Amino acid sequence: MQTINVKVNGTTYQESVPIRMLLVDFIREVVGLTGTHVSCTYEGVCGACTIHLNGEAVKSCMLLAVQADGHEITTVEGLANDKELSPLQKAFNEQHGLQCGFCTAGVLMNMTEFLAKNPNPSDDEIRHGLIGNLCRCTGYVHIVNAVRAAAKSIAN
Amino acid sequence: MASNPQKTNDSWMGSRLARKEDLRLVTGQGKYISDIVLPRMLHAVFVRSDRAHAKIVSIDTSAALALPGVVCVVTGDDIVDELRSMPQPVLLPNLPAKYPTFYPLCVGKVKFHGAPVALVIARDKYVAEDAAELVEIEYEELPVVVDPEAALEPGAPLINEDHDDNEIFSMTFTGGTTQAEHDANDKEVEEIFQNADVTIKERFRVHRTGLTPMEPRGVLCDWSDSDGLTAWITTQRPHIDRLAIIDLLDIPADKVRVIAPRDQGGGFGVKAPFFRENVIIAHMARKLGQPVRWIESRYESLMNVGQERDQINYLEVAATQDGKLLALRNRGIADNGTGETGVYWGFVMPFLGAVELPNTYTWDKADVKLRVAVTNKACLTPSRAFGHFPTRFAIERAVDMIAHKIGMEPSDLRRKNLIPHLPYTSTTGEYYDSGDFVQVWDNLMSHIDMAKFREEQQAARSEGRYIGIGFGTGVELSGMASEVLVPMENQPGYGAASVRLDPRGTALVFGGDAPGGQGHETSVAQIVASAFGIEPQDTVTTTGDTATTPFGSGTIGARGASYFMSAVHNACVEIKVKIARILAHDLGISATLDDFEFVDGQVVLRSDRSVKKSFRDIVERIIMHPINMPPGEVGGLEATVYFEAAKPMICFNADFCTVEVDIHSGEFKITKWVSSEDVGNVINPLIVDGQMHGAIVQGLSNTMFEEFIYNDQGQQLTADFENYKIANAADMPDIEVTYSPSPCPHTPLGTRGIGEGRPSSVPGALSNAICDALLPFGIEITELPLRPGAIWKKIQESQA
Repeated sequence: MQTINVKVNGTTYQESVPIRMLLVDFIREVVGLTGTHVSCTYEGVCGACTIHLNGEAVKSCMLLAVQADGHEITTVEGLANDKELSPLQKAFNEQHGLQCGFCTAGVLMNMTEFLAKNPNPSDDEIRHGLIGNLCRCTGYVHIVNAVRAAAKSIAN
Repeated sequence: MASNPQKTNDSWMGSRLARKEDLRLVTGQGKYISDIVLPRMLHAVFVRSDRAHAKIVSIDTSAALALPGVVCVVTGDDIVDELRSMPQPVLLPNLPAKYPTFYPLCVGKVKFHGAPVALVIARDKYVAEDAAELVEIEYEELPVVVDPEAALEPGAPLINEDHDDNEIFSMTFTGGTTQAEHDANDKEVEEIFQNADVTIKERFRVHRTGLTPMEPRGVLCDWSDSDGLTAWITTQRPHIDRLAIIDLLDIPADKVRVIAPRDQGGGFGVKAPFFRENVIIAHMARKLGQPVRWIESRYESLMNVGQERDQINYLEVAATQDGKLLALRNRGIADNGTGETGVYWGFVMPFLGAVELPNTYTWDKADVKLRVAVTNKACLTPSRAFGHFPTRFAIERAVDMIAHKIGMEPSDLRRKNLIPHLPYTSTTGEYYDSGDFVQVWDNLMSHIDMAKFREEQQAARSEGRYIGIGFGTGVELSGMASEVLVPMENQPGYGAASVRLDPRGTALVFGGDAPGGQGHETSVAQIVASAFGIEPQDTVTTTGDTATTPFGSGTIGARGASYFMSAVHNACVEIKVKIARILAHDLGISATLDDFEFVDGQVVLRSDRSVKKSFRDIVERIIMHPINMPPGEVGGLEATVYFEAAKPMICFNADFCTVEVDIHSGEFKITKWVSSEDVGNVINPLIVDGQMHGAIVQGLSNTMFEEFIYNDQGQQLTADFENYKIANAADMPDIEVTYSPSPCPHTPLGTRGIGEGRPSSVPGALSNAICDALLPFGIEITELPLRPGAIWKKIQESQA
């Protein structure tokens, strides 16, 4: 066991965790934020567990909780600002960018970072930006529409 | 949330309303099975077979049991006398087949790589996984059968030893019911082939692939001696699961409640069967008196479920020189896997695939036969385009091959042979209720200028570029009438819904199906809002809980907009009749429902619109103040309605796509995809668009990338997403969905259920486009998946 200090969505957690505990399990089971999902079961392929670690989109199944010691994490629960949805969250609703919602948290976290770095992306850039997120329901068309609409909304 | 488009004509029907489900899902507040945690909950991990076919000689659980935190380790021998075997009657189709007997954990031998041999239960999930690694199993190898044709050979090693061969199911689908009638039919078909201007005969092979929901399966069971079992299961059919658990574990019917979590990460058919894992988790929760949860890993999921298609179809087609299709003859062989899942047993999918072989075309005669072989592979599980992905690939390719042979445009040949008028009963006996295939086709063709495309194609070829266009069509089930579903799955087809009004004027809707992302909460709210003249946010829908919902056979086969939504609408009408009666009584007038309009939160008298009452007030009056009522009337506003359509129903689509093929590598790029859909009256076009995009991309992903590979020892080599590749966003084209709808005459709102079979026209359309591009090389694709290497090889062979 090791004691770690991790700030999650602005709140600091001091917890004693097994050294082998995955960061995604720490977020879901210790902190109790279940919006971050596990789909490929720790392969780093599906992207459903994507979070921000110090502002950077990472797959939380590829890290141990102890590696997050002293760092800041944002999860999908931290995207809305005082219940006001982010432009990307709004766009996903308006453009029907999700169906079952299981991949959605990871897509939102990845695309939030993507739009911060690429404020005016082409559709092709959006599609390539999404390679790390598998979605089984939407065929990606409405996800691309939502990211494009969010970029436009942020620009205005 | 989002600003929504306005309703049209005082109705929310047809509005692109943003979904009600989304607020919780975009903020991480969905409640999926792995988010449900109970006090004292234990964690279960299966130990799965690493052999495809082997006797279990011994299982040593001592090291696992010695690990601190481990509660128990159970094997097949431990539980064989504690519960009933499958099959149980509720899980058996009304089809004659050689159903295997099996238990939740393997007893005596293992039949496929990934079969559950033991179950470890521990207080911590990491400890459970550690302990599973410590279970030592000694096997004695048995001969492995992975080839379905070899499995059917006389003398092939037996897989299900309670039967005398590996043929789990066979059927003749055409010509009658007796052997004499079949023989007469087959003779007539043979005569047509003998006299036909042109025929083709090919072996069409579609690999093992299917659908893999992003959320794997899971089961959480809680037991109390007073209330019995509560089981949360990732499932598309909670009511069937409940009956199965009652029968298998011999628990009184009033002591079992099954809940499909409100949020499920996709189903696509994969969560529709009854699985052995449900039984053992429920059994152990009862035995231990403590909650037990199993969350499937992706590895387990890819080893056990989502495997479908996997058919060989020896298809022959006869036609005239001017492109009239005459007859088809098919000998289908399907690879069933072991057959160890309830409801479908593997073969129900190829059964429907054979039924749907004639598709949208007219045939004078057909001779369709199917044999289904048990092999040492995971049992087939349903996957959207249930059973007919392979047969539709075959028929759509065969149509193009006829066109190539007689030098006719494949699009012209299709239009010439489309069923001109509905209703129509296909040569395999499938009833097509309504719609206009030709109108949908002509709508599709209005999006492409064929003459111009052919000019561009010629010009491109002269530059060494190979572009092509391909077409595909698909007729799909729109829900399943009882007359179809009872024989096929031993379950009722009707849709059922309860609508209950709240004294504050809002509506609660309860349905026994269990969606996984289809947007039922939104579509239901649009129907209820349109019926009562209230707002969509004033409806809350509960699905999937057997304790609160009327019986439903599940979210399967496009039953949503066909059956469930129709039941919701009819329940609203029943309530409105009562409201109208009481309101007329209160007003002291003689009036019925037709005399009132429910609009903008008011119930308005049509003949004098100044006479009205707020919806909330009349609802509150009827529920809370049931005095001075009309004679014989009592208070309360609630209705449960069962809806059965007069006829089995269909929906229909046609697709085209264009491609460019690089002849030096075999790589190809999809440059355009356009669909034309008859989906009946649309409740929410945004949702329907999304269903079509998803289905088409699932079809493309199955056609181009996904493949479950077993080696000759039955080792499954593709049990992770690195090796079982699913299409990502950059792999896929944009998709243009267009509509040419005709209202369904058999549903109260003219709606059709959509989306289930939708992937099936995709492999034909894409393969046809590639063959069209490569026409100068005379290449005909007969096998999937469409890998660049295989296409390159065909190009090389054609030049040799």
